[in-house]
Amino acid sequence: MAIGVKVMERPEQGVSYVRATLKGMALTFKHLLQPRVTMEYPEVRSDDEWRIATRWRGTHRMLTDEQGRSKCVACGLCPQICPANCIKLVPGEDERGNRYPLIYEIDEFRCVFCGYCQEVCPEEAIHVGVHYENAEYSRDRFVYDHERLAAQSHPVSTLWDPTDPRGE
Amino acid sequence: MSDATVSLSIDGMDVTVPKGTMLIEAAKQAGVVVPHYCYHPSLPSPAVCRMCLVEVEKLPKMVPACVTTAGEGQVVHVHSPAAKKAREGVLEFLLINHPLDCPICDQAGECELQDFVFQEGQAGTRYADYPKRFNPVEDFGHDVLYIPNRCILCTRCVRFMDHVAEESVLTVSERGDRATISIDPAHRLDHQWAGNVVDLCPVGSLVSKDFLHKARAWDLDKTASVCPGCTQGCNIMVDTRDEVVVRLRPRPNLEVNRHFICDTGRADYRWMNRGDRLEEAAVRGEQGLEGTAWESTLERVAALVAEGEGAVTVLLGGRVSTESIGWILRLLSGRRVTAAMRVPLGDEVPLAGMANLALRAERAANLHGAQLLGAGADWHAAVASAPDTDLVILVDAPLSDTELAVVARAGAVVQLSTVAEPGLENTAVLAPITSMVEEQGVFINRDGRAQRFLPARTPPGMARPAWWVAANAWALADEARTAPATASEALAALPALDGLTHAQLGFTGRVIAPVAAGGVR
Repeated sequence: MAIGVKVMERPEQGVSYVRATLKGMALTFKHLLQPRVTMEYPEVRSDDEWRIATRWRGTHRMLTDEQGRSKCVACGLCPQICPANCIKLVPGEDERGNRYPLIYEIDEFRCVFCGYCQEVCPEEAIHVGVHYENAEYSRDRFVYDHERLAAQSHPVSTLWDPTDPRGE
Repeated sequence: MSDATVSLSIDGMDVTVPKGTMLIEAAKQAGVVVPHYCYHPSLPSPAVCRMCLVEVEKLPKMVPACVTTAGEGQVVHVHSPAAKKAREGVLEFLLINHPLDCPICDQAGECELQDFVFQEGQAGTRYADYPKRFNPVEDFGHDVLYIPNRCILCTRCVRFMDHVAEESVLTVSERGDRATISIDPAHRLDHQWAGNVVDLCPVGSLVSKDFLHKARAWDLDKTASVCPGCTQGCNIMVDTRDEVVVRLRPRPNLEVNRHFICDTGRADYRWMNRGDRLEEAAVRGEQGLEGTAWESTLERVAALVAEGEGAVTVLLGGRVSTESIGWILRLLSGRRVTAAMRVPLGDEVPLAGMANLALRAERAANLHGAQLLGAGADWHAAVASAPDTDLVILVDAPLSDTELAVVARAGAVVQLSTVAEPGLENTAVLAPITSMVEEQGVFINRDGRAQRFLPARTPPGMARPAWWVAANAWALADEARTAPATASEALAALPALDGLTHAQLGFTGRVIAPVAAGGVR
């Protein structure tokens, strides 16, 4: 027994490609006349029109005090909280008896950019940065040491503020 | 109700305690921790911190739990709103001048102020407008550094030096909010037991210079162990960070060392981290000592024991476990054995306020274990007997140059060592063994108390416990023999220990045989 097939009656106008092509071209020409929304990266980087979110969590930055010394006191909370285990810290003591990190290294390859290190830091020293251009020529350059973290100059993340959940 | 006990209710829990028990200890039995700073079970209580105030029904005011004896039918509230409010007030006062330097404080993570403030302190401060009191850091001498800003004046350190060490060099000077702990200017804190003030300090005010900035409390792995320093056998906690021993701390055992260890024991951990350890077994072949596997090493040991008829000398280091001594002697049963432990001698330094607690003159942890198993302390005679023997078994005992020359005249030497003795030309077998921080074992102290220690580190290379080497070589001689698989089985198999297992010893040990203190020469 054959399956009953119903052949649709389609008007000639409805199946013609001419109409669809013209419709598409009309949309294209309409956009030619409208203002541009794309940014020509990397010739143009972020500007007032297009800015990376302040809560962006990118590669780290170590903040320094007025004398240019790192704020880190090697308390050991960031390696403890780090879920990716990417922070290596060896504490030491400087000539004035202050605690400071002898070794402070972040493996940015291992990092999952959760921002816990910034959140836990009691000295507001380590921050995740608003930064996304991280290309290097060799893998070992992705282990950022203390000097390099302190030398970074990009803005730091504001993280998510529970009292202002929508960032207003 | 009997005459010797009283029953009371603490936070709804009924407990029965001996008469004269303080409320704080009774609460501990009821499973309620009363927050406290000045109280310490091994020190007299002055009730100065006012932290342990509890509410007792029918008493007009709140009472300090550390100096109030439990009474029949008392109803005590530790966590009532009034008691909590009192503690909150005390904590607020303590925090007025306490610096917010937990990130750089060595005590952070094991600080009682941190714990109790977190538990029931206020979230904010009402004194933000006033500067905090500041006093410079003071060096109390030896291993102790005093950071007055962090001090909460619980006076545990003062009472320890006054009543336990009985050398009153610390006191509270000045008054009111200017009060600090100060040291007699003519003295330093160099008493042999003074390091305990660092452990007693509930905050990070007294810190160990040796441990300063080395590790954070939460990084440490803690392993129950026994101090290998002398025949007292103090219970200790071995704190390791990434397989490196960073400090030794006392572990409470009311029968042996209460809450204290001496500074000699406390500082004696660097050998545990030695980097020049023997990692590979070697037997003497045609080209001198050749590295080999355990099978051939054990076969050579078994052959050396089986082939000779003459005397054997066993030279033991002071930290060799009871299991190891027992199995080495069992391996040699049938031979004429002279066994002795090397016992370095020092001064005996008692802790005045505690009965039967001292840094003993015999600085070998397992001397009495050795004596119980039939090894003596006559080291010099044992070394002197070496040239006349076929075989010397050297178990982790350091030798002086003259002793080395004597032992070099023996027929053959089997070195079961953590660190190889390279000077011995007649070494037939060189077997790497674990040190006491890498194996389980038992030490027997001067009172005949057998106490366990647990492994805190991974053994280097192919190192095995000495009892394992001895027992497996012993099992090779006869097919009917099987070597014990664990240290506990190894201990239980020794006739002198009469089936004693590690589980029976628990963590505070057990007196198995009062050993007559043998003479040491």
